[in-house]
This record gives sequence, structure tokens and C-alpha cells, in this order.
Amino acid sequence: MSAVADGCLRVPVLLPPVWRALPWRALGAAAGAGLAAAAVARLVPGGPDPAFALVLLRCAAVAFALGLAFLLDDPARHITAAVPTRRAVRTGLRMALAVPLAAVCWTVALLLIPGRTRPPAGDVTLEAAVLAALALTGAAAAVRCTDEPQPGAAVAVTSAAGTALALLLPERWALFVAAGSPDWAVAHQRWAALLALTVAAGTALLPEPLRRGPSLALRPPH
Amino acid sequence: MTTAPTVSASGLTVRYGGRPALDDVSLCLHEGVTGLLGPNGAGKTTLLRVLATAVPADRGSFTVLGHDPGTAAGRQEVRRLLGYLPQTPGFHPDFTAFAFVDYVAILKELTDRAGRHREVRRVLEAVGLSDVRARRIKRLSGGMRQRVALAAALVGDPRLLLLDEPTVGLDPEQRMRFREVIAEAGEGRTVLLSTHQTEDVAMLCHRVIVTAHGRLRFEGTPAELTARAAGRVWSSTERDPGARAGWRTGMGTFRNVGDPPKGAELLEPTLEDGYLLVLDGEPAEVASV
Repeated sequence: MSAVADGCLRVPVLLPPVWRALPWRALGAAAGAGLAAAAVARLVPGGPDPAFALVLLRCAAVAFALGLAFLLDDPARHITAAVPTRRAVRTGLRMALAVPLAAVCWTVALLLIPGRTRPPAGDVTLEAAVLAALALTGAAAAVRCTDEPQPGAAVAVTSAAGTALALLLPERWALFVAAGSPDWAVAHQRWAALLALTVAAGTALLPEPLRRGPSLALRPPH
Repeated sequence: MTTAPTVSASGLTVRYGGRPALDDVSLCLHEGVTGLLGPNGAGKTTLLRVLATAVPADRGSFTVLGHDPGTAAGRQEVRRLLGYLPQTPGFHPDFTAFAFVDYVAILKELTDRAGRHREVRRVLEAVGLSDVRARRIKRLSGGMRQRVALAAALVGDPRLLLLDEPTVGLDPEQRMRFREVIAEAGEGRTVLLSTHQTEDVAMLCHRVIVTAHGRLRFEGTPAELTARAAGRVWSSTERDPGARAGWRTGMGTFRNVGDPPKGAELLEPTLEDGYLLVLDGEPAEVASV
């Protein structure tokens, strides 16, 4: 039996324990915070204006992304470091379980914004997808380059700082542009390019290295 | 020993920030329990992590029963043969002991549910955790958690068992229990046991390796390591300034290790005495591989 076929056979058996091993506290807190941010739109008398609605959705997207930064936290990482089931399979399973949940949360967040003030759903969904992909790629990089079993907090802080820095980008590189701005379309081309780069980097980081890179050579085991 | 080695390593080198954690280490491991002794920072954990394929080496190579982990397929084969107990095992605290070992068993490709559950029960029984197998790990004591980690290493009946300081923090009764399990595991398997406890090595191991500063300083039998201190341990009423190590015993006399003065009252050496002398700049005694 080929390794791929064998791996596919193992997936249904792996699903229940991987589901249990997900960092539910962090994911739940992030989902709650993101939905709460979006729900603010329902508390504004007469509904929020389009600019405020965009801010609320972006806050929700950042919250969901920060939760996903914890997705690869695995306190049992050292015990499972030497098992034949590849890390890429385990990581892929975690993503396959969590990403649909994140998508549901995002859809609910979108629906919480009244339709007449909701920014273009496809474009803000692209922004949310990039933020999520960046957080997941950061987590994958932390797993690959460090021995830390639970790098989620550090990845979340870095992601939050990165988002804050993105707000300071000069106008010609701006990512977070206002709804109705003439730069909206160009900015979302940048978002799309960023998504492609992030997905490529994240995919490259998934397999375990056979050779030590410079990042692995920095710290001795504790 | 004439049988083919389970592990054959040559020139393993690992550097962290330019500092060698492992420096050109070559060794062979055969069936039975081999002790790995060394002070903190000697490279024991790094050596185990390299052999466990958790970290690749910068230079050098090794094989496990002929499989080379330098390729993805070879690494997979090696991982099918080994059980690894890391120095700092972590757990999913909400899992029960049974569920956690079962999870590791699935990761070790034991997919048949009935057979896997039999195997999980077997290893939990072997480490004395049958009674608490349904208890969540967060409710277990430190010693019990360590035994869960050992059960996770044993599950799947690995041919090579790498144990990184498994008895640290255990009380004497728990350590005795661990020794029983490790001794049993050494029958028909190859076990590399990293430890600070020379008594563990004396009681369990047929071979011993001493490392310091990332290099092998000694490789031989426990009796050979003990013999390094023959005629070099003596008793005195005052601390002997010429001793390389010396301490007051419970009897009020000093036990000294080093080069004894003429007429000194020589004592029977222990493995720890030999170990201290090897660490203290004695010429390395390592078999060529």
C-alpha cells in the first residue's frame, strides 16, 4: 500500500483525537471576541455607517486570525516528535477541522452587519483570509523553527503587531483602505498577492526539514 | 558483542549558535540497555533528539537497523522502529491516560481499533497505570504522568527505545518501578537511557557511554567504567587537598577520588567514582566505530 493511501486510511481514525487536541479555549475566545465585535453593529441605533461597519468587520477578522495563531499549539509536541505520521498530515488535519469553523464564524460576522452598510463581502473576506493565512503561516514557521510546543501566544502578539504596522503603511502601499476609497480595488489586488505569497510560504513550511537550517541552529534544547 | 548494531552513527555534529552540542560523535548501539551519562550541557539530550529524528544533525549520519533517516522515506522507516521519551514530555491535559496513549498509538500507525486498544492496555499495565487509565492526565501526579509518557514510548513494541532522563523527579519507589519496566524493555530491544543517576546505570545497563562538552569520553561496560577508579578511591580523616573530588561521608570520614597518597586506605570504587574521573580530564576511552 502506498504511503499516501496508508495515510488516507489513518485520517478517519485520527480525526477524533485531533479534534479533542485542538486548543479550544483560544479558538473559542477568539470566535467570541470576533462575533462580539461584529454584533456591535446590531447595537447601533439605525445601524452603523459603512465606515464603522468596515472597522467592526476588520476587528472581527483580526480576532479570528489571532485565535488561529494558536491552532498549532501542541503540548504533546515532544512526545509525538518521532512518530511515523507526518507532521504535515497532523497540521493539515488541524487546519481542515478549524478552517471551516472559522469560515462559519466569519459568515455569521458578515451577516451581523446590516446589508445596506456591509462593505463588499468578497473583498473583506479576502482581507480576513489573508489575516488568517498569515497567522497560520506564522504558527507553522514557529513550529518548524523552534522547539516551543505552544508558540500561539508569541505568534498572536507578532500577528497583532504586524497588523498594527500595516495600518501605518504609506498610502501607495496601503492595505486597510476606507470603504468607497478610489484605492479600494488596487488595495485588494495587494491583498490577493499577499494571500498567494502567504499560502506558498505556509505550504513550504509544513514538511519537517531533513537538513538543519540556520533558524534551527540558534537554540539548544531545554 | 557480535550481533549487528541496531544503531550505527558516525561523526554526528550539531551546533547551536556556533557552539557544538554534539561534536563528531560516533557510536554503535546493540540490543540491551545502554546508559548515557554526562553532566548538564554534555549533549545527551541533543544526541537522543538526533537519534529520534526530532532534530537533524549538521554533519554526520546514522542508521537504525539499516535505515537511513537522511531521506524522508528512511526517516519514516526509522520512526516506525522507535519509541521516544523526551526530557520534557508534555500532554493534552484533558485526555485520559488511555486516550492519550491511544492517540500516540494511532500516530504510530496502529489503525486496527481492537488490536490497538489491546496494545494500549498492555503498555499501561506494564507501567502500572491500569487502575488510573480512565483518569484525566491533569489529575495524575508527576510520576504517573512520566509513566504515561513511558507508555507512549513503549506502545507499538518499538525495536529502539530512547529514554531521556526518565527517572528525574521520581521518588525511590517510582524509580524502582521504572527500572523494572526499563529492564524488561531491554530484553530483545535496544534501549538508550540518558540519565544523571549512576545507580540507574549500574543496575540496568550492559554498556555505558559518557559524554562531556558534546564529545564521547568513555564507552564500555559499567564494570570497565568502575575499574577506571580502581586504586584511586581512598578514605581519610581530613579532606585531601590532592583529591580531584572528595566529600565527607555519613561516617564522618572523607571519601576521596583521584591520585591517592602513599599508604592511603583504599576503598572499593563505584561506577560514580569512575564517572567522576572520566569527567575530570581522564584520557578518553572510546572504541572506534
